[in-house]
Amino acid sequence: MLKPFRKVPVLNTANLLLVENEEQLQSRLGEIILQIEKDVKINVRLARKLPLPMDTQDSRPRIDLVVFIVNLMSERSLQCAEKSIKCLDPGFFLGKVCFVVTGARCLSVSTNHLLTVRKMAASLHCPLLFAEDQTSEGVSTVAVRLLGILKVAAGLVPLATGLSLNSLAHCVLPSDLDELDSLT
Amino acid sequence: MPQTPEPSVSGGRTDFPDENDSTCSNLSNRSLRIAEKEKKKSEAEAPLSVALTYFSEVKAGTPVLGNDELEGHLVRLERTALAQGLPPHAVSIMLEFAMSLRMTNAITSRVLRFLVPASVVPQEAVLRGVSWLCTQKLSQSNQLLFLRWVLTMFDMIDCKDNLRAIYGFIFSFVTDESMCPFICHLLYLLTIKEHVKAYRVRKLLDIQGKMGRQPYILQLLALYKVFSPEMVPHSVTSRMRTGFRNHDSTWKAPLAALAKRRVGQETPSMDLVLGLRQKPNRKKRKFHHLEVPDLAPAMGPNSRKGVCLQQLRSFSELLDNLSSIELPAQMGSLLSSAMALHYLDCVQDESAFLRLNFWLGHALQEEFFAGPVEGGQESMAEAAHFLSMLVSTQHFLQEGFSATEGFLCKFLEVWDGFLHRPQILELLSNIALVPSSQIKQVLFDPLMQLYFTSSVFFKCSVIECLSSMLRKWLTWHSVCAKEEGLNISLNNRSTMSLSLSGFLDSVLKLVQFVGRLTSAGLQLERCHTLLLHHALGFYEMVSDMYLKYSLPLFVMLPPGVFYPALLAADPIAVDRLGRIMFKYRQNLTHAKEQRLKQKELYLQISRSVYEEFNTYLVTMVGFLWNSVAFGPRSGLAINQRLLERTKVANYSSSFNLVHHPAFVNYAVDFHQQCWPERTDMDLNSIQAGRYWDWYVEYLYTQGFEGLRDFIKVSINPSATRQSTAHPLSQPSQSG
Repeated sequence: MLKPFRKVPVLNTANLLLVENEEQLQSRLGEIILQIEKDVKINVRLARKLPLPMDTQDSRPRIDLVVFIVNLMSERSLQCAEKSIKCLDPGFFLGKVCFVVTGARCLSVSTNHLLTVRKMAASLHCPLLFAEDQTSEGVSTVAVRLLGILKVAAGLVPLATGLSLNSLAHCVLPSDLDELDSLT
Repeated sequence: MPQTPEPSVSGGRTDFPDENDSTCSNLSNRSLRIAEKEKKKSEAEAPLSVALTYFSEVKAGTPVLGNDELEGHLVRLERTALAQGLPPHAVSIMLEFAMSLRMTNAITSRVLRFLVPASVVPQEAVLRGVSWLCTQKLSQSNQLLFLRWVLTMFDMIDCKDNLRAIYGFIFSFVTDESMCPFICHLLYLLTIKEHVKAYRVRKLLDIQGKMGRQPYILQLLALYKVFSPEMVPHSVTSRMRTGFRNHDSTWKAPLAALAKRRVGQETPSMDLVLGLRQKPNRKKRKFHHLEVPDLAPAMGPNSRKGVCLQQLRSFSELLDNLSSIELPAQMGSLLSSAMALHYLDCVQDESAFLRLNFWLGHALQEEFFAGPVEGGQESMAEAAHFLSMLVSTQHFLQEGFSATEGFLCKFLEVWDGFLHRPQILELLSNIALVPSSQIKQVLFDPLMQLYFTSSVFFKCSVIECLSSMLRKWLTWHSVCAKEEGLNISLNNRSTMSLSLSGFLDSVLKLVQFVGRLTSAGLQLERCHTLLLHHALGFYEMVSDMYLKYSLPLFVMLPPGVFYPALLAADPIAVDRLGRIMFKYRQNLTHAKEQRLKQKELYLQISRSVYEEFNTYLVTMVGFLWNSVAFGPRSGLAINQRLLERTKVANYSSSFNLVHHPAFVNYAVDFHQQCWPERTDMDLNSIQAGRYWDWYVEYLYTQGFEGLRDFIKVSINPSATRQSTAHPLSQPSQSG
């Protein structure tokens, strides 16, 4: 079980964990994030799924933000994220978890998967970001956005905390979906 | 008797006759060539008629094998057709020949494949073709080929009213499983309102039950739904995926070549074409949803009913024919023509808007929500171009399409905040008033999630977009309110009408939403100057809503914007804040007077607005003028002990006009001008006596007009310095 406060934070450092089963976007994202940020030291850790192996636990820094990357075109990707979430300490959900989905614009395939991810993110009060992974501009856009969230979550932005950002930017289910749920 | 030259064998003279010979042969060659050319020429003209005569008269059952005459005519016709297209009568004859199956199916197929019309296809020919189709003699592949041919050439058919008359006959083919997709497409192109009948809908639903949810049937049903919404169940069309395929592969190349040649001949005469509407040269693309069709008429030019937009060349012609204009076959083509947009704007034809919205909604859906996402630069540019065209069309019509709004609602939910950002935000700022019950879900929820997780520049552009949206709503309201009193209808074509309170509700929600965005955004971005100015720009509009847009709504700016602006290091921000406070004061005063004068009941200004305004006013005057910053009466009261611990000596005067970080360089400048010989700088000396007045005057000359207006109305000039702010008294009867 990954815990958010097991280790003390290091000055001017933020640590990001990117979880993606397909390993398509995470390394590109990580590289761009490292390239953009010059003021603060950023560590990007990549994983296919959680839980993380126990033997590297001691060398692993404190994780400030966990990002689940879900490809909506793939059922497996979604299932993997769903399973991985259970391996996180509840403390993470106070502003240290975020979802990124790709392929959301292909409605014919992704509608149901998108709904599942939406429900998941909404029930966990996490932000849900959409990414255009086909274009380089799309990837760098999502990298910049993740970096912004990471800096807040790592406490590098004065007057802002991960929890406050979460309360503003968390995913909201459309109300008619709520009604549908309550009916069924 | 003339002597003929004897042929000689002697060496010396051999050359001569040879030469003679060669000239002879040259001569004969030339005449031969000329003759051949002549022959060719006449062949080029005559053979067409000869061949056509042959094909119109050839008897059924004429043998094909070894029939050189047939082969010759076919080859000649094929060459002409592929090179320059066939004239209308030739198309009629050849179609008749092919469809009547006077020779084999192979010949029919061959004829159909080269049947490229030069200009138009006579309707009668297609009619006869369809009637031959009814005989069921043709092979299945030829039946399909014929249908594909009709679909490809559809826009070239000179007139379609007789085809519409046999709609029922054509409809009867939908039961044929292989022909169904093509028949559905043809019906889609032919359907008018009168064709939509309950039994046809039932039949289609029946077929759908057998064959599954086929896109072509869904498309046709969707069109039926446009014409008579009550006949088609909603569930049918709610989740449409793909549309009709293009079937023009067989004739694409020659048609394109012909079109190219025609374009070369024609001189562009439309001077009413808008700048953006030139179609870019596009290469092959997988999807063509965004291709704006040409302005081809639904009725032929010779139909009695009306004039098609394509024929009009000038604005005066448009005016002359306004009542008899026929809409084009494909509504999307309206977007490409400024003339059509003028027409659309004048006529306010409900069905035209319905059809256009349908086309648009479909095109947008197909482009942005279907299939594997394409990442090519070219398709991105094409999509951006299309969206830009949509933006300029909406600007031209000065209203948004409902299809665009539907698209935006969906798109915002899955947007990454970058894809086509300028166009999307521009389109978003154009949307018509959203009822307050839906505004949260449609606009606010998706925007919140994007806004707070994106960069400060995205935040600025969102505020910019919402400002522009509010400005359009307010402008629209002020125009409508003058025209129609208080009974506002949301849109000329929509049935939903909105009372003033409904409008106020939506505007109030929007202003409050922007208040949340700006306050929290400024906090997150550490009072970024650019974002602060966007927020101030928004509130410059909000503060003047009553006087400028005659909207009786007063919302103060939130503390999250007021204090960052008041304490900003940027003098322009303080100046703009001064202007905003001045505007609020003007509006509130005016509203109060109106209310006392006319006893207007709708002008209910809540007491809290006055209280908020007065708190801000006292704070601002205390900070800038009276040097009582952080005092107990200001809105930003801070415990005195805490302030002393900061070790700032004169904290209470540290934000007056002299010491304020935004103005301190002006104070230094002023100090130097007043006492050029003094080496020690003592800014406090500006605060004494007349120097203060001069300093304030000096600030006015530096262009701080907002500040000047604010000071002139808020501060009593007679009681210098320790003057008190002029708070607005609350009207006694306000609730």
